[in-house]
Amino acid sequence: MINLKAVSKTYETPAGKFAALKNIDLEIRSGEFVGVVGKSGSGKSTLLNMLAGIDRPSSGAVAVAGTEIHALPENKLAVWRGRNVGFVFQFFQLLPTLTAVENVMLPMDFCKTFPLRERRKRALALLERVEVGAHADKLPATLSGGEQQRVAIARALANDPPLVLADEPTGNLDSVTATSILDLFRRMANQGTTVVIATHEADIARVIDRRIEISDGQIHPQITQMFSR
Amino acid sequence: MTVPWRKAIRDFWHERARTVLVVLAIALGISAFAAVMSSYAILTRELDLGYLATNPASAVLRLDSIDDETVKAILQNPEVSDAEPRRTIRGQIKAGPVQWRNLMLFVVQDYGNIRVSTLVPERGAWPPANGEILIERDAFQVAKANIGDAVTVKTVNGVEQPLVISGSVHDVGQAQARMENIVYGYINLATLVQLGEQPKLDQLNILVAQNKFDENHIRRVVADVEQLIKSRGHEVWRIDVPAPGKHPHSDLTGILLLAMSSFGLFVLVLSGILVINLLTAMMASQVRQIGVMKAIGATRWQIARIYFGQALFLGIAAVIVSVPLGILGSRALCRYMALFLNFDINSFAVPFWVYVLVAVVGLAAPLIAAAYPVWSGTAAPVRVALSDFGLSQTTFGASAFDRALTRIGGTLSLVAVAIRNSFRRRTRLALTLLTLAAGGLFFISALNVRASLVNTLDRMFAARKFDLTIGLANPYELEKIQTAIGNTRGIRRAEGWFQTEASVANSNPFSVVALPADTQLLDLDIIEGRSLAPGDTDAIVINNALAGRENMRVGETVVLHMGAAETTWHVVGLSREAFSPAVAYIPLGFIQQQHPGMVNNLRLSLDDSDADSIDAVKASLDRNLEQAGVRARGSATKAESRFGFDQHMLMIYVFLIVMSTIIGGVGGLGLMTTMSLNVLERRREMGVMRALGATPRTIWLMVVAEGIVIGVLSWTVAAVLAWPISKGLGDFITKVMFRSGLDFTFEPLGLLIWMVVSISLSAVASFLPAWKASRVTVREALAYE
Repeated sequence: MINLKAVSKTYETPAGKFAALKNIDLEIRSGEFVGVVGKSGSGKSTLLNMLAGIDRPSSGAVAVAGTEIHALPENKLAVWRGRNVGFVFQFFQLLPTLTAVENVMLPMDFCKTFPLRERRKRALALLERVEVGAHADKLPATLSGGEQQRVAIARALANDPPLVLADEPTGNLDSVTATSILDLFRRMANQGTTVVIATHEADIARVIDRRIEISDGQIHPQITQMFSR
Repeated sequence: MTVPWRKAIRDFWHERARTVLVVLAIALGISAFAAVMSSYAILTRELDLGYLATNPASAVLRLDSIDDETVKAILQNPEVSDAEPRRTIRGQIKAGPVQWRNLMLFVVQDYGNIRVSTLVPERGAWPPANGEILIERDAFQVAKANIGDAVTVKTVNGVEQPLVISGSVHDVGQAQARMENIVYGYINLATLVQLGEQPKLDQLNILVAQNKFDENHIRRVVADVEQLIKSRGHEVWRIDVPAPGKHPHSDLTGILLLAMSSFGLFVLVLSGILVINLLTAMMASQVRQIGVMKAIGATRWQIARIYFGQALFLGIAAVIVSVPLGILGSRALCRYMALFLNFDINSFAVPFWVYVLVAVVGLAAPLIAAAYPVWSGTAAPVRVALSDFGLSQTTFGASAFDRALTRIGGTLSLVAVAIRNSFRRRTRLALTLLTLAAGGLFFISALNVRASLVNTLDRMFAARKFDLTIGLANPYELEKIQTAIGNTRGIRRAEGWFQTEASVANSNPFSVVALPADTQLLDLDIIEGRSLAPGDTDAIVINNALAGRENMRVGETVVLHMGAAETTWHVVGLSREAFSPAVAYIPLGFIQQQHPGMVNNLRLSLDDSDADSIDAVKASLDRNLEQAGVRARGSATKAESRFGFDQHMLMIYVFLIVMSTIIGGVGGLGLMTTMSLNVLERRREMGVMRALGATPRTIWLMVVAEGIVIGVLSWTVAAVLAWPISKGLGDFITKVMFRSGLDFTFEPLGLLIWMVVSISLSAVASFLPAWKASRVTVREALAYE
């Protein structure tokens, strides 16, 4: 599903060059639930950005679902991303002037993956799936953090992507809500979706298939663990 | 409706206060544009239709006399569709004990059968009976009389005769009586006889059969008619061929309205600046949203469409608001212009093309304005957009300019903060200054152009050293006149001049003024060559209007048709007479070779030049001239001549003031939008200040002070640019409208007034954003992202 070969990313900053990723090789199988764990600034968000085509490597190659995404031009990349990747952010990033169901419909509108009439129906179904169907017509500001993150997850699933990436999806939630959100990701993986979440919380072992530890832009093979379920 | 469109609409709803401001600003621009374009369409249509409905003469011939047989002979010419004799005679009219007014009397043979240059009866009697006179509707104000009043009328050669004003008519083809300071009267042949005049007609209105709008064809037909008239023993004194099918003021109206349209477009461009500011701010506040949309699959164009959609929405809302406003404005403008030009508007219907044009311009303007902010706002890569930290991250202090600003303000911390804050968003500041300064520039320019027009007229009238002009009915011996003048008290100096007309081949006549060699009552403003000098015989000085019209140059030899004679002249000088019609000056000696000692025009310099003194001298001189057997044809004081000019100038002045008010309005709305955006973006910062102990009043004062700083900056920009812009604008307007230059003068009062206006406008525009800023609680402000 995901194949990174010798991926490095260096940023030019006023303080000089900063290497966010250093020569990363990584393979993730289809349907796998992977947790990328590391401290703040370790490079886990950059790694996720590489997988989503949000950022491009300074060197190396990124292939996702058979597409060499580092070689795609920006507009094609956007279309590819809309159809193949669902992205969940730490601060939910719901569009504040759209209702919950409209936020979920938005990727379908952008990618035109479903007929116009079906989009609302599908969005409502997704909201039901993440257990916030009752809040479909509410604006994000009226929802709790957990509810907003569930809507964000529903949005990530809108175009039925094979890959869902989540950057600190529970970082802004209380522990009870965080647990239920992680369970949700687990269920998605069980249904065949590849899920990669970046987190600095170590306590995700119970839900993930594999844990990848990252620090200073490098993956530590000795602490990359596999969990059998 | 797809979700992106819903977002576009809701974002605007979320920003509704600012959206309304921008819609209003664009609507102001479109309204001005729509009003002017509608007026242009209505007025040019109605003016020409109304004029054409009178079946205007293709040409007017002035003759010694015309008889029915000659008219019949002319009508035999298949190229002539109609020919109607009339008489136009100069005279004076007096209502009650008030002074004599200049009168142009039109004598019509058969009021029941007017076919050419028709009249429209308005009120009272029609046709005028014997002893009755009809007055043109616009001339009642000049006559200072009403229907039913008894008036005294005298023609140049006739006797004083009481007549009754029995009705009013509308004569579309005449220039506005108020502007010309003349009364147009209409009588029949019998009344003409009562006035002591010969019952003859000396004017022929010709209507050509084909090619009515082809001036060359008209001139060819008229030449045939002229030949026929001469072959029957009559003389043709003068031929006028008005611009075919066009009201005399049609071109001037068109130019004025087109100038207004360009200003309307300018206002629209300025309102576009508000769109740039609004969308730039909105997109800056939504960078992260843009990043999210890209992250979930939106292309740059898909996102750009959302914001272009918003710009389109601004345009649609503005067009909806401004079309009815524009129509209302056009009606007011049309009514004003119709009154000014003395014609009726039968239909205010606005042609479909105006709606299309207004809609296209109204929708395109915000879209064009949105192009840069939208395209650049959607350019950020997803990673950069997602990592945007909000709006308060603009770095102040990085540039040398920022550091220089820190030295301004001294110990007045509020002023210092206001100045520094106003420079934080420099593009926004520059665009806001542009709109505000444009309003100031127009206002200051309006006052400067007015002062310059007054200065130009002052200079023009300063060349005329006489206070009173008396036109004589015929040439008279100067000796006879001098006796009458000697018997009249209050005259300092009197000169006898001779005024006649001339023309060059195939053109309309112009005035020729024959001056005494030692004249002290005219000091021509010679801009090339020289003035007339004693001993000159064939020398001629032309004014700039004549030079422009007939393409004459100093040093050339020109042939003039004066009466039946052809004369050759050497152009020795060019005089500048702003706003004056075409005039040539020749030595009086030339006239007196044929009419020794004769003059037909008196120019008088008086001891006192106030209106009462002039009236007293005029009345006394009239009597003395009568006693000496000299009959006056009409008179004009310097003030009366000046009045007409002032009225024309008033129109330009009012127009500029109205434009500056509209632009000032757009500038005010722009400043309000800017201040509102500034407050929105610095909400957290204000929360910090509140947390540190600033009172709501301090916050309020800080925002208002920032607005005033912007106002003062805009005033500075306007003040610096005012001189060159005012001069350019004044020269442009007078060149286009009058083919004349302007004696520019700067009106310092304009700077002072605009400073007060700009500070007040800034304070008012920033009042509401400041009030809102002061109302935000510390908790809300600190929580704002």
